[in-house]
This record gives sequence, C-alpha cells and structure tokens, in this order.
Amino acid sequence: MISLVVGFPLVYSLWMSFADVNLLRTTGPALEISGLRIPFFRYVGVQNYARLLADPLYWDSFWRTAYFVGAFVVETTVVGLGMALVLQERFLGRPVMRSLLLIPWSLSRVVVGLLWIGLLDVEFGALNGLLYKAGLIDSYISFLKSGFSALNVLVSVYMWNQAPFATLLLLAGMQSIPTELYMAAEADGAGYWQRLRYVTLPALRGILFLVLVVSTVNGFLMLDLIYMLTMGGPANETTTISWLGFQTAFQFFKFGPGTAILYTLTVLCLILTVVYHKVVFRRLEAEEV
Amino acid sequence: MQRITRRSFLRTTGLVGTSAVLADGLLGAARAGKPINFAGWVFKPDTVQDYVNFYNQKLSGQVKYEAIPWAQYHPTMETRAFGGEIFDVMYCAHNFRQRWYENGLVRPLDDLPGIDELKKKMNPQNLESLKAKDGKLAGVPYFTSLFILIYNEPMLQQAGIKAPAKSWDELVEHSLKLKKDKVSDYPFLPNWNVSPSGTMPQFMTDSFSEGANVFDAKNRVIVDQEPGVARAMERWQKVWKAELVNPEVLTKTSSTDTHRLFWTGRYAYHTNHSYYLKTIAGEPENSKLAPKKAKMTMYPGTGQTYMWTDSYTINAKTKILDDAWKLVRFLGGNLTGDWYVQRQWCLISGLDNPYPEMYEHPEIIASYDRWVDLKLLRKQYEKGRVIAAYKEPWYSEYDVKAVPIVHNLIRGGMTVPQGLKELVKLQKSLE
Repeated sequence: MISLVVGFPLVYSLWMSFADVNLLRTTGPALEISGLRIPFFRYVGVQNYARLLADPLYWDSFWRTAYFVGAFVVETTVVGLGMALVLQERFLGRPVMRSLLLIPWSLSRVVVGLLWIGLLDVEFGALNGLLYKAGLIDSYISFLKSGFSALNVLVSVYMWNQAPFATLLLLAGMQSIPTELYMAAEADGAGYWQRLRYVTLPALRGILFLVLVVSTVNGFLMLDLIYMLTMGGPANETTTISWLGFQTAFQFFKFGPGTAILYTLTVLCLILTVVYHKVVFRRLEAEEV
Repeated sequence: MQRITRRSFLRTTGLVGTSAVLADGLLGAARAGKPINFAGWVFKPDTVQDYVNFYNQKLSGQVKYEAIPWAQYHPTMETRAFGGEIFDVMYCAHNFRQRWYENGLVRPLDDLPGIDELKKKMNPQNLESLKAKDGKLAGVPYFTSLFILIYNEPMLQQAGIKAPAKSWDELVEHSLKLKKDKVSDYPFLPNWNVSPSGTMPQFMTDSFSEGANVFDAKNRVIVDQEPGVARAMERWQKVWKAELVNPEVLTKTSSTDTHRLFWTGRYAYHTNHSYYLKTIAGEPENSKLAPKKAKMTMYPGTGQTYMWTDSYTINAKTKILDDAWKLVRFLGGNLTGDWYVQRQWCLISGLDNPYPEMYEHPEIIASYDRWVDLKLLRKQYEKGRVIAAYKEPWYSEYDVKAVPIVHNLIRGGMTVPQGLKELVKLQKSLE
C-alpha cells in the first residue's frame, strides 16, 4: 500500500523529469495495470537537468529562494520561540491566547493571500488607511512596488501563517522539560536569560531541529502566496524555484523540465536536513561521548 | 442503551453505502441517454448553471456542468484527459485552442450541421482567430473582447480638461497636468499586470495603435524592426519615470484586480478589456464612477487594439457528438433563435460576441446604454485586430517570459532597443 501511494508517484515523477512529457500525446510504450494506462513518454536522459542548470533564470530563482528560505526560517523560528516563551508564562487569558494562536496556521494559504491583499493593497488596504488616519503617512505606501520589498512581504506573510505551528511545537517541548531543572538552576542563582540559555534551549534541541526542517521544507515549497500576491513579479523579482517549476509545468506545459526543477528542490531539502542534523546534534553527541 | 460494536457499525454503514450505490444506479438507469459533460472555468458559475438548467428543462438536455478554477483550468483539463476522462464540451481560451486541436483533444467543427450559417454571421476577424493553423474551425465563440480607453469624466472636468485625449501626446499632457495640479497621484492606469491578460496584450494594443506589427506573416516577433513599437515603449518609460502610473500595477495578478483600482475614482485614464467598463460605469455599489461617470473614447493613434475570442470546443473522443454539438450551438450559436446564452453574457457581464446582428436587439441596446456608448464600442470593434501567433507552440511560454523583460524596460532597467531585441531573442530561443 505504501509503495503504491508513496513510492509509485515518486518513481514516476522522477522518471518524468528525464522524459519529454506531453499529457495529450500518450501513445507509445505504457504500463497497463487493470485497465489503467500509464505512459512512459520519450526518455531524453539528463537533458532537462542540463538545460535548467544552464538557464540564468534558474540560478536567479535559486539565489532568491535561498534568501526567501533563510529569512523565513529565521523569522519563523525566532517569532515562534518568542510566542512560545510568552505563552509558557502564566497570565490572564492564556488559554484563549493559545487557542487564537492557531487561527493563522489553520487558514488556507489562498485565504491568507486574500486577507493580506486586503491589508496591504495600495488603494483598498486597511493598513494604509489606518496609518493615514493616524497621521503617520502622507500618502499610501505601495508595499509590493519593488521586487525586494515584495519578496520581504511574502516572507513576513508566510511567517505569519507558519510561526504558530512552530510555537505549538516549541510550547509542547517546553512543557515536557522537568520543572526540577529550572528549580535547580534558580537555586544556583541563574536568572531568566541563563535559564533560557542553559536549560530551555538545550532541552528543545530535538524540537528546534524539527522546526528548522519543517520550516525549511515549507519555505522551499511555498507557492500559493506568490500566486496570490505577486505571480513572480515585478519582472521575475519574486520568482522562486517552486514558482518557476510550477510555471514551467503548468503554464508552459513542459512537465519534464518542470518536474526536473522541482526535483532539485527535493535534493536541496535533503541536503539541508542533513546539515541541520549535524549542526543541531553535534554538541549533544560530543557531550555524550 | 444498545452498544455499538465495531462489527455492527461496519454492517450498518455497509448497508447504507450499498443502498446509496444501488439507488443511484437505478436512478441512472431510469434516465434516458447519456449525460453531456460540460466544463468551464469559473466565471459567474451561477449564471452558467442557470442556462444549463434552462437547456435541460426546455431543450430536454442532460448536461452535467462542472466549474473549474480559472487559473488551473487548462492544466486541469489536460491532466483529466490524461486520466481518461472525457468532457464532451469544454471552454477553451484562444491561446490553448491550437494546442488542444493539434494534440487531438478537440475536434474540428466544419462538418457539423448548421456551422456554415454561423460562420456567415460571424465577424470575419473572429472567425479567422477561431480557426486552427490548418484552416479548420476549432471552436465557436464564448465571447470576444478588445482593449479600450476609459476616462474619468468628473476628474477631467475638475481639472478644466474639456474633452478626453485624442492622441497619446494629449493623454500624457493631461496626465502631467493632473499630477502637477495634485488632482491625481497617478492619473494613468494602463493594464500592466503580470498575468497573461495584462502586460503583453497591452503591449500589442499600444503597438497596434502606433501602426506597428508585433509579429510577421510567419508569426515571428519583429518588434525590433518596428518604429511604432519603439515609440510606444518610449512613452511607457516616460509615464513611468514621471510617476504617472501607480507602480503597484506591475504586481497586480489579474486584469480584474487592475480595473478595480479605477473604481476609486483616483485615476483619470485606464486601458483594459472592454467588459470591465460595465462594472466601472454600471455598478454604483462597487464603483465611484458609476453610473456612467467613466466613459470610453476611441483608442488613440490608429485606434487599433488587440482583440481575441475565447471559445467552446468539442472533445474529439466524445461518444455523443450530436448531443454535444446541439449544446455547443445553444452556447455559442443561436439554437433557440434568440441568441439565448450569448445575449445573457451581453446583458449580465458586458461580454461581447462576434455576431454583429445581436447589437440591433432592443434589449441589448437598452442594457448597454446604462454603461457605454454602444455605437462607439461597435466602432472600436471595427478596429479590433487579431493575431495568429498564439497558434504557435512557443506562444504561451513567450507570453509569460516576455512580461519580466517588458517590466524591466518600463522601469528603465534597459533601453528601448535593448528591450525589444531581448523580446526577439526570447522568441527565437523558444522556436
């Protein structure tokens, strides 16, 4: 069952990245499984990969993706940790705050996109109206005017959507830390920041690894917000690898090259997961030795 | 209280499921014939469902309608065809028609009864654009549209401008004055959005209005040899540099979003698809420029603008060709003798069609009178210009990849000759 649901699509899509695929031309050799015909398409070797690696647009998108993922992972982790630390403290309304926290995360990204268009739009945006009425700006700000500002808007909007999940994980991690450790640290004269540095963060190492991996993968794959907010513009300045792969496959109908582009993302995610593992657990392993 | 065991739960749900399947099967058997599967992208799906219901009730049809989100419509239809699904009748945008036809997804319509009559009634330019490269008809019209110039009459009056611009120089001059007098921050709103319905059709429109060609007879991009295109692009750079255009228009993701900016009444001139004037000038609940405070004027220069025709197509693998053709005649032709569906689109959305005789209908005239000068609109249609380049396999990719080049050019990231050479180079690289 697992090989059918997980393995087959993976293998078939990997094969497509080495093929010349036209979904409307399915004659030629095919695999027949109980009436279902799965065409092989024409094998073209590494041509799809060679072409994309020679395409300057791919490399522009690559570096933009690196910036996007880096900024997103940092923002998500820092904001997620900050919110988790706040929600770990006892205060009036904490249960309500913990429930409200999940709202941004539970919204579909199409809705998130529409919501933020409603906030940031240069003509209809609530944020501009608010700032203008408060006398903080003379004229409405165009948040999506230049590529760099639009890219940063995308990072922040996505962080708004995803940080609550990081908070949830980190909060769960914090609650599993034995209170005796904090009591012992307090008895040794450790202040708040020292307790955070020497008790909380080391105990959260496993959860932090998970947060880093999940947010990195999510960052690489993010597509819907680009679709809703910028469509890769202006002038390709918010085009990431996932958007380029989507465009290539679904707008240019080049499913072979499109799949190849998206497989490079998979490889990047795997490499970064290994790197994170090494970095996050290096010290722990050293201590155990 | 009776305890629900796993066994009793499975038994009960199994019985319910089986009876549901059987009931559906029996109902299906009671129906005569085979239903027609009809798919379209999401645009007023309730209206579509209404006329599908009308067809089913009055014309004994059995149409099953499915609305698919616009953005993913064509890829979805291809992947579902790949999966063996047959939609007998499908919407098809102009730039996908050749691909679907060439790859055997849709069939030619020339051999079907009554098609010659329809062809005779159609504007020849639209008819030409509905044909595949081999000259065969690949679809019948869903709607046609073209680019028009819209102006904000109260704003021009406020600035003491007596008549809308008749030339590009005048339009720029008006915009500069409106900006200088602080009547408008951004007086000009061209449709430079990033989607395929924005920047590039606007690029062709302004090039045509300068008397230039964008493609040669073999559909190759020749913009670097056309002084008219260079003039249009120099003007685009000029209006951008003078901050006459809202910069955010470059990240608007659709023509619909772009035209909504004009609702605010803060812009003086707007170029966009003709039907958007209906919401701008005809929907007071949405637009500050309704009723009829926004008007159209003839496009400057030669007056020629880009025109296109989207269509209904018939699946080449349909097993119910007669029924499918009957439905297509109802949708895109005149099966009922009163242009039922085409008329609905005119009345409800201002979506035009390529049958000039429809515009003599009193109901259409009265409806259009609420938002546009119909005679002027028809005159603009006489200047509509179609292209054949979208029938080339490279067109979709060119159309998308050209946008960043043109956006760079607008923002002064490259000179006009450099930008135009880049477009030619792009097209050659995709051949």
